[in-house]
Formats: sequence, structure tokens, C-alpha cells
Amino acid sequence: MTDTHCPYCSLQCGMRLVRRGRDLEVEARPDFEVNEGALCRKGWTATGLRGHRERLTSPLVRDRATGELRTASWEEALDLVASRMTAVQEEHGRDAVAVFGGGGLTNEKAYALGKFARVALGTSQVDYNGRWCMSSAASAANQALGLDRGLPFPLADVEQTDLLVLVGSNLAETMPPAARHLDRLRARGGHVVVVDPRRTATAERADTVLQPVPGTDLALALGLLHLVVAAGAVDEEYLAARTTGFEAVRREVAAWWPERVERVTGVAAEELRALAGRLATAPRVMVLTARGAEQHSQGTATVLAWINLALALGMPGTAHAGWGCLTGQGNGQGGREHGQKADQLPGYRMIDDPSARAHVAAVWGVDPDDLPGPGRSAFELLERLGTDDGSRALLVMGSNIVVSAPDATRITARLEALDLLVVADVVMSETAALADVVLPVTQWAEETGTMTNLEGRVLLREQAVAPPPGVRSDLEVLAGLAARLGSPSHFATDPAEVFAELGRASAGGRADYAGITHERIRGGQGVFWPCPSREHPGTPRMFAEEFATPDGRARCVAVTHRGAAEQPCADYPLHLTTGRVLAQYQSGAQTRRIRDLPDTGPFVELHPMLATRLGAHDGDRVVVATRRGELEAPARITDAIRPDTVFVPFHWVGANRLTNAALDPDSRMPEFKVCAAAVRT
Amino acid sequence: MRRGGAHVSSGERLVVVGSGMATTRLVEQLVAHGVARRSRVTVLGDEPHAPYNRILLSAVLEGTHPEQALTLRDPGWYAGAGVALRLGTRVLSLDTARRDVMLVDGEVVPYDRLVLATGALPTLPPIRGLVRPDGRLHPRVHAFRGLDDCRRLLAALPGARRAVVVGGGLLGLQVTRALAVRGLETELVEGGEHLLRSQVGAPAGAVLARALRRLGTTVYTGTRATRLTDEGLRLDTGYTLETDLVVLTAGGRPSTALARAAGLEVRRGVVVDEHLRTSDPHVHAVGDCAQHGEVASGLVPPAWEQAEALAAHLAGTGATYTGSRSVARLRATGLDVAVLGDPERAAGEGGEVVEVTNPVAGTHRRLVVRDGVVVAAAFVGDLTRIGLVTQYFDRSVRLAAHEPGALLVGERTAPPARLADTTEICACAGVSAGAVRGCSSLEEVRATTRATTGCGGCAPAVRELLASRPALTP
Repeated sequence: MTDTHCPYCSLQCGMRLVRRGRDLEVEARPDFEVNEGALCRKGWTATGLRGHRERLTSPLVRDRATGELRTASWEEALDLVASRMTAVQEEHGRDAVAVFGGGGLTNEKAYALGKFARVALGTSQVDYNGRWCMSSAASAANQALGLDRGLPFPLADVEQTDLLVLVGSNLAETMPPAARHLDRLRARGGHVVVVDPRRTATAERADTVLQPVPGTDLALALGLLHLVVAAGAVDEEYLAARTTGFEAVRREVAAWWPERVERVTGVAAEELRALAGRLATAPRVMVLTARGAEQHSQGTATVLAWINLALALGMPGTAHAGWGCLTGQGNGQGGREHGQKADQLPGYRMIDDPSARAHVAAVWGVDPDDLPGPGRSAFELLERLGTDDGSRALLVMGSNIVVSAPDATRITARLEALDLLVVADVVMSETAALADVVLPVTQWAEETGTMTNLEGRVLLREQAVAPPPGVRSDLEVLAGLAARLGSPSHFATDPAEVFAELGRASAGGRADYAGITHERIRGGQGVFWPCPSREHPGTPRMFAEEFATPDGRARCVAVTHRGAAEQPCADYPLHLTTGRVLAQYQSGAQTRRIRDLPDTGPFVELHPMLATRLGAHDGDRVVVATRRGELEAPARITDAIRPDTVFVPFHWVGANRLTNAALDPDSRMPEFKVCAAAVRT
Repeated sequence: MRRGGAHVSSGERLVVVGSGMATTRLVEQLVAHGVARRSRVTVLGDEPHAPYNRILLSAVLEGTHPEQALTLRDPGWYAGAGVALRLGTRVLSLDTARRDVMLVDGEVVPYDRLVLATGALPTLPPIRGLVRPDGRLHPRVHAFRGLDDCRRLLAALPGARRAVVVGGGLLGLQVTRALAVRGLETELVEGGEHLLRSQVGAPAGAVLARALRRLGTTVYTGTRATRLTDEGLRLDTGYTLETDLVVLTAGGRPSTALARAAGLEVRRGVVVDEHLRTSDPHVHAVGDCAQHGEVASGLVPPAWEQAEALAAHLAGTGATYTGSRSVARLRATGLDVAVLGDPERAAGEGGEVVEVTNPVAGTHRRLVVRDGVVVAAAFVGDLTRIGLVTQYFDRSVRLAAHEPGALLVGERTAPPARLADTTEICACAGVSAGAVRGCSSLEEVRATTRATTGCGGCAPAVRELLASRPALTP
């Protein structure tokens, strides 16, 4: 029996794994406070990938003669990868080899991967799929609050607030056990608001639902703050004591009167006024943003606008109130803190900060001057692959780029143009299928490692079973390659040892893990970072006294609404938005292979009025087309979506052939959540 | 020398006359395009106030928006952007040959390029006694155009019990409601046959008049005020309305005196082309003072679109202005009105009209459709679909034949009486109603189906299903 956590989303529900003969079964773990024993069907069926016939158990190397993948020994595969990486770097320079990580990797792996790029390869070209997940919220939080911890309070604080505003979150499907907090809040008499172009399962549990045009959440926030200012509900005392910059924000929102916002957002002025009235009078207000608000070319500004609203109401840093971000991927939080992001070193240190470089270089035993500088963001790294201006070889860990990258047809062509593509994965994902070398690695219950959930709670996921013969852990893969590449720094393979090194590397940084060890968090409730020493209790709630800016004050950053990069036109008259369904997770590489989870394939949500216009009936196959590609899938007709918008889930190949890679100027987040589309029958 | 070239060259003197909303937008965009940095921009504003949001003055009058929150940009912002903001500066004349403007104090301000954003002036209706021999308004008479007007009217409220508003357009309705919310007895006089006559047809105007009467305002339509006396405001019907205040909201006209005197082409407004250029290539005009094609709009969104187009043009992007779609929204507590485009004209020009008028409920909704596209619309008393219809209007979405009608009737949402066995009850675990009906207790449901063990949202439905199981017959 092993107490551990779910392999999927950022909630990291506690669960108990029990051996019954050859089977590994999931049982409830009621003592873990985040989910109190609750799990969704993804969690209940999480062991379904164990012993799966599609599980990779031997390295594969693409045969030059036949073009087919054939099995190879680990020695042959690692030798080949190391020698070809070396050759590429000798010919084209250090940056000719790139590394791409994932927000599902454990802290240990994310840390080792970043170190591998900077030290073993000496490349600046490292980024990860969290760029497509969390980066807008991270960028906004860093600017406004001086620090990016998705939720600066435990999730259960949601129950104690008075007015909860969820912007672009469908947590009832993406992290179902979290929805219990909404019900308890409402039972206490609190009010739940959901802002989403679709009336989702989460919206069904809300008191107020606003359905703005995709890409206009920013205008909505400006309009709400306009009304809060007009109502005299701004907490002037708080702003004076704890923030700077609000006057410029006040001026900016003077231009966003309700009827103007109505025209931009499609949300009636009366609905805005009603919500503003609640915001102005609720004693405690909590705003939580998620991908719906963040995955836009103005995603950072959108989050800043919602933070401004929370600051104007005097909420952040007070009990059971403020702003937070609902992180998506399992280790979306920890994955962005320890150095697999192009501009960061472990401990959320910035790579262009000389003192940060010196600290980390000392832990790694290298000269700070030998560390590369900042590299390119995920999409920018990928779109240049195989070009004169880009890398020639790529190592992918914990990501299925072919399914999850925006404008995926273009990015797939870039992967195909590489001299060398190496993919470490559990199954033959769509990305692994393109690789020159596929390295079979351990999964979840077969390995130990820490995850940092959406609350900044560092948790231990423990090995419960032995991995199948023939697979190695990602840490072993990195160590094996580092040794062959002649790395000047040692790469440990024991997760506890790597975590201890991570602790030293993060010490004194913004995300300080120095006081956390595997032993300390085994079987418990985890520890919230920052935790600078063994004696430190961790930090469940932040900003009560001051914000993490140099002067301790939050920054009100004036932002304005520009709108989505691609607007509907005569040829593409609809908005397309994308998202998740309950029974699948991310690119589906895992969940699509689990027998007990329904693999419906993609579908196209259409409003009945639009369906009638198109002549489409429920279940008819329709084609969604954008400037970048097409997808054919059955129509699913529902009045829960705006009539000018269609929705496609992104767990299958196809949805991201449609999406637009317009990037946010600050976070480099692509605009997954809106582009112009046409639907044909 | 360039003659009216698009790109503003380095060090060029760009002078803007007027500091209203069009100017604010223009300067914001000049800053965004980097034009403000490389040129020398000067704004000459007649009003002494930092540029503010005129749209919200009726909300200030009503007391729902504080005056301090009207300011759009502080003087410090202009200074930071390198723009000289000169407030309380009236321009007396424009000399296009010498390329300068003269201020009332005799100062001459030269320009390389001039933008006229002089706005509009309120129209004074032909009522005897409004203006005193010294040229000032009668103390009981108020205009309502700028912040000073608003302040003066607010200052007059404490001693006032009754007010007559002259002019039944959008502004008149807003002011009437604002004064009523402030507790005054209000009467509204409109010379035309119905309210909002330049925006909507007679049925909509009638619905609106009834709504206003229900809110306590006496409405006189088809009636002109002729004379203000000590007894009150005399109407052409012979009635005299006793009143403490008379507020003039009988529309405005483009402020064109400078342009006209300088010899620029002026019709209703200062005539501009697709680059917002007047008949002099060194002079542009935007906002309420400008006339593009046949249109001099008087609304903020077109003024902003013109300002954006001009800034882009001056930045050398090759942008042009081709006209605006107007959406006029009434901001008045208790009255719901939206007018998209020009419904009367669009209907007159052969558009197909789909409309529902319900005098009992006090609603009127009209869509004017051409080739499947909503080209104009009017909504009174019911704005439930305004967000969607505005999107369709703004984006020229081509609708199917049934859609205009469907947009005007409410959505039906009737839940099915009994859940089908195949209906999914628990999404977390993927459990159907039938599977729950097959269980005898909540414990059995939890153990065998795992329903209720995820988000917990299905618990009430599961209990209900269990409770409604048919009793087993022996």
C-alpha cells in the first residue's frame, strides 16, 4: 500500500495504491486535505496504463535504410544521441541542440532537465509546454505581486470567501474534486460567478454566469473596475498603504463605461452592473483566473486587469480573498520554478541576474560565465527548428508537441525538418512517432518524485511498483547522456538526492525549497513554499504583510484592451475556442489509452441557432476551418455555447491545427483560446 | 517639402485644436504609434479641465458616477508622453496660408499639421426669453454639453423642485431620468411627433413615452416651447409649464466656425476624406466637428474610430477611414434603449423589417435585415439579446432566414420531465441515470458506480433518483 497522488492535473489529489495480486488498484485517501478522498474518473482509472500493450519497453532507433523504428539497446541509443548531439553542436554551435520539457515532469526532472541543457549541452535553447499553460498568469503575478505562486492561499480558502469570480475556468471538468468548494461556499451563503463563453459544468454550479465573446475578458474586467470606481467602492486606504500605480489604472478605466464594454464583450450592460454591485458590496472577493482568460495574445494584460480589480477592492493579502490562478498541469507550478523555462534558473531565479547565475553555478560546480543566457520561448523555439536561425536537434521530455502546439501543422513540419529528434515517453505518442530515437521511460507509480500543486504545496509522489524491464527513469536518461557529453557537473539519478540539490539551488530564490526533503513530506499534507529551512513551517498564505516587490507594495499596472489577434471576417465568421473534457487529459497520450475512459474523439459544439443556419444536425460530421487548417468531427448541438462561437476539445490531433500562434508580448503565450473560423457541413 | 504626406516627419509640429474625447483617443494612438515622440504635439483645449469622459456627464448628474472619476488622462500623462497640453486656451482664428492659429490672447501658434477636433455646440431652440440681453442664458436655463454645464446644473438642484427638459433625443432622455432620480418633478417637451425621432420610428417612440410616463415624467410630443416667462415655459398649445429649471437638450451641431472662417470646405461639418483630411492638405478634422461622406455623427465611437484611423495614417501605416457603424445606447436608469445604425433609413431603403412590439409589456424590438445581415436595429424596453445582436451587426454576420425571428423571441428552456436512463448523471465517473436507478442506496451507488465521489455535484440528482425509485412489489 502506497500513499501517493494522482498522475494528472494540478490538484494532485491524494490517493492510495494497493496491490491485489498482479493488479494495482486505486483507493480513496480521505486524510489528504486537498481532495478528502474524492477523485474523478481519471484518477480512479489512473493505473490503467500499467502493463498496457502500447507501453514502450525498449529504446527505438530509426533505421536509416528503411526509415522504420527498430529496437536498440540503451547503450546504442544513448551513444547515438550523444554523438549526434555533439556533431550538431560542433558544426552549428551550442544552441543548435534544444531541449523541450513539460509541466507534468516532477520537480526533480524539471530541475535536472534545465541543468542538463545549461551544463551538459551548454545551450540556451530550453523551454517547455508550461509556456502554453501558465505563462500569462506567471508574468502578470510577477509584475503585480512580485512573485508567481498560482494560488497564494490554500484552495479550501475558496469556501470562506463571499464572492468568488472564476474567469475562464471549468474546474468542475478539469479538476472535479475542486468543485466541492463551490458547493460549500454557496451552502454558506456565498455567491459564485463564472465567466466563460460556454455555460460549462462549472457554470451550472454558479449563481451568476457571464458569457463574453472569446478574447474579451480584459474589457470585461476594465468595465467592472469602471463601475467599482463609479460606485465609490475602491478601497482607497488599502491602495494608499499597499500599492502603487492605481491612478493610471483609474484613468484607463474611465474610458470603459458599461455600454462600450457591452459592445465589445457581448455581455449586457445590466449584467455588468449587477456583478459590479456585488463586487462593490461583498466583504470578501476572490478572483481566480485560468486558461480561458490567460491563453491569449493579451493574456498577461487580461490577468493584470483582474488583479487590478482585486487590488482596487483591497483584497489581495487579506483573509479568504484576493487573486489566484488555477494552474493546469500536474506540476504546472513546480515545473515553472526550477529552470526548464528559457529565462529562469532554479528557485525562480532569473537567468540574466548575475547573482542568480553565481549562486546556481556554485551549486553546479561550474563557472557562471559558462552558463548560457536566456533562450527562446516555446513556440519561438519550435517554429525555427531546422532553419538557419534555429536548432537542428531536439530532446523532448514530458510533452506531446504534435498534439499540443498551436498551429500544429506548421510545428510538425519543423519537427520533421530536424537533423535529430529524441523523445522520452511512456507510449508512442504522436510526437514520439516522428522521432529518430525514442527512449522508454518510467511513469508515475513506477518512480518517486515531488510535485508542487496549484497551491504551491510540495508533495511526494512515491514509487508503488517496479517499472517494467527495459525502461529507465528520465533522471537516468539525463545522467547517461550527460556523462557521454562530458558534462562538467554530476547528474544524480536518485530522486531524493536530486531534490536535495534542487533545495540548495533554490535556496534564497523566490521559490525557496531549501527546507523541504522527501522525508519531511512523505505521507503528509505537503509543505507550501517558500520554505527556507528545516524548521520553517512553510508558507500557506502569502502577502499578508507585504508583497514580494522591492518596496513591498503591489503594482497596479494600467492595461487596455486590444482584442484578439485574429477577428472574424466574411470567410471565417465565427470565433473558435478550445478546451478540455472531463474524461481526457491534455494531449491524451495517457488517457486516450485507458480503457475505462471514453475516447469520444474531437467534436464541435454548436449553438442550435448556428446549427440551423449551417443545416447541421446533432452528430453530423462538420468541418471547422481556419486560416491554418481544417478538422472534421461530429457536431454536438448545445445551447450552452454562444451562437457566434464554436468549441473543439484539444485532446486529439486536429484542434491545434486550427489554433493561432499569435503570442503575448510579455509571456509569449500563444492565443489558443480564440481565432476566426468557418464551419461547413 | 512634403504636402500632406502621410508620415509625420521628425520634429514636425502637430497642433490639435480641442481637448475632447476624440483628441484624447488621437493622442493615445499617436503615443502608441511612436508619433508623439518624434514630433512635437500640442493640444489646445478650450475647457480648463483635464480631458474627461463626456459620455458620463449624465451619470454624474444622476449621482451614479463621481466627477473625479471622469478624467481620461491626467496632465502628467501628457507631459510624460512629450505632449504639450494647454488647457483653457481658446483659438480665435486659423490661417491656412501661414499655417498658424491665433489664440484669444493674441499668441500665434504655428503648425506643420493641424487637427481640428472642436466638437459640437448645443443647438438653442427658438424660444423667446432663453437668452438675456447681455447674451447669457436666463438663470433658470441650462445647456448640457460640458462639465461646466453639468456643475452649474448640479449647483442649481438644491433649490429646484421642477424641471422641464426641452428635446426628446438620447441626451434629453438621459437628463430627464437623471433629474427624476435626483427627486425632481420632470416634464419633457419634444417638438417632433415622438421621442427619439432621429433614431427610431413612431411605435418605439410611443413605447418609450409610456415607459417614461410610468416613471413619473410628463411627456409632451408634437409640441414646441415658444417662450420663457416668469410664469414658466409657454408651449405652442397654450399651456405654461411652471418650472424652476429648463434644460436644453435639443441636439447639437458641428463646431465649424474656425474652419469656415479659414475657408475650408464646410457643409454640415468640416468635410474630410478617407484620411480625415480637410480641403487643406495640412489640416485634418476628427470627431463631432467633422463630416465624412454624408455623416456628421455626434457619437463617441465614430469619433474614436476616426482618431484611430488618423493616428495610424499619420504614423504612415496607410490606414483609411471608411465610415463607422453606430451603436447608440441610452444610459438612463429605468429606460432600456439601444439603436444600431439608422433603422428608419435602412427600412426606408428597402431593408426587410422583422419586429415585435408589445405595448402591454412596454417593449419594442426591430431588426432591419438586408441580404441576411442585420444592418440596423432598435430595442426599447427589452435588451436581453442586445449583446449578441450587436456582435452580428458590428461583424455583418450573414444570418439564415429563421434567425432574425429567433433573435426576437425568448429562449425556451424546459427541462425534460423524466431523465432518460441513458442521461449522464455523474460526469466525474461517467454514470447514467439508469445505473443509479439500478442501485438501492447511496452507499451502493458510491461503491458500484463511484457516482458522487468526484466533484460531488451529482449528489442531489442521485438522491432524487433513489427517492423516486418505484417501490418493489412483492
